[in-house]
Amino acid sequence: MNTLKIFNSDIIILKPKRYLHSANFFINPLKSPAHSFLSNCQKKQSISSHMAAAAAAGDRISRITSAIRVIPDFPKPGILFQDITTLLLDPVAFKDTIDLFVERYKDKDISVVAGVEARGFIFGPPIALALGAKFVPMRKPKKLPGPVISEEYTLEYGTDKIEMHVGAVEAGDRALVIDDLIATGGTLCAAISLLERVGSHVVECACVIELPELKGRDRLGDKPLFVLVSSS
Amino acid sequence: MFAEENGLHGDPRIKAISDAIRVVPHFPKPGIMFQDITTLLLDPKAFRYTVDIFVDRYRDKNISVVAGVEARGFMFGPPIALAIGAKFVPLRKPRKLPGEVISEAYVLEYGTDCLEMHVGAVQPGESVLIVDDLVATGGTLSAAIRLLERVGAEVVECACVIGLPLVKGNWRLNGVPLYVLVEPRLDDLNMMLEQHLDDGYI
Repeated sequence: MNTLKIFNSDIIILKPKRYLHSANFFINPLKSPAHSFLSNCQKKQSISSHMAAAAAAGDRISRITSAIRVIPDFPKPGILFQDITTLLLDPVAFKDTIDLFVERYKDKDISVVAGVEARGFIFGPPIALALGAKFVPMRKPKKLPGPVISEEYTLEYGTDKIEMHVGAVEAGDRALVIDDLIATGGTLCAAISLLERVGSHVVECACVIELPELKGRDRLGDKPLFVLVSSS
Repeated sequence: MFAEENGLHGDPRIKAISDAIRVVPHFPKPGIMFQDITTLLLDPKAFRYTVDIFVDRYRDKNISVVAGVEARGFMFGPPIALAIGAKFVPLRKPRKLPGEVISEAYVLEYGTDCLEMHVGAVQPGESVLIVDDLVATGGTLSAAIRLLERVGAEVVECACVIGLPLVKGNWRLNGVPLYVLVEPRLDDLNMMLEQHLDDGYI
């Protein structure tokens, strides 16, 4: 990877295939040449702290991206599977992943974090704990005991269903939906539907990885999506 | 061992955790009093207490791996792993993990099931904590222990939120200590014992 040194911090320039997705800033080294900072001493202080913050986040995203393993032809030929288990084997990168989500949502009055089975169960609870929010598992059929509500969604061939406990989420709750990855967006749409049916407000969907070619973001429509890594 | 008998006697957090667990009768089948931890996850304080008690116990034990059993072990394991700076390794049902895996079969009431772990996730000599929401017969946890020992790791302890009283007096599984926060709150303990006896769980 190429690095550009500004004020002794490294800004990692990512290759075009993987780029930063961040709500706060986007690093584009072509638009911020180093010499324009050096020439203006008054701006230096605030720019350097901004760049330092950008560098820090860039380092975290970079480490997270590198920690994800791609497995070809799983679960079937032609699919490039994005394996987050290697991210979980890097305690720094795993912590950074959680921190990036918590930093984004800590002042947004989130009362519910809904995690989609099963990899959403790995990322959701640490975020919920940090935000002081309830954690609600969204599960495959017949796993949750007691009364549930279900939402069906379409797969490539056929349909599937996800379920949520009756009473877990209440009208007026502000919800976050978490999963490891968004592909077509089918599962996330079903999750959003369940949460809205009980009268809660889905503030955002958050995933570690997005596969933009599958247009999940479009399928979510007006529901915002936040991801850390975009993988084409 | 139960937390109450091991330094946490009278700790109000234990009662808060126990009270937050919901019992659902006759799930997944008649006679089973299902211990539902989802209500614990809906109580941020009680969920926080659960994680804190485990973290306090394990933070100075040089544990480098927390292995969580699918799927409810995924809810408790990662927060513990993050707090103690350990890797998190999911132990999954067959064909969920991509790439190279090792498998361990275990016996169910009727038939067998299988637990899988990624090759290379755990190195020989690593110290491991296994986490699940509940231990009943210990079949699943025993399979998890075997998986980890096969790759040369040392399982320090198995930690569960809930432990059936049937395991009382048998606090080791394959020689590995078991640490449990609470017993089930049963409306009908006898009914449950009878059911388990009939099914050969004991």
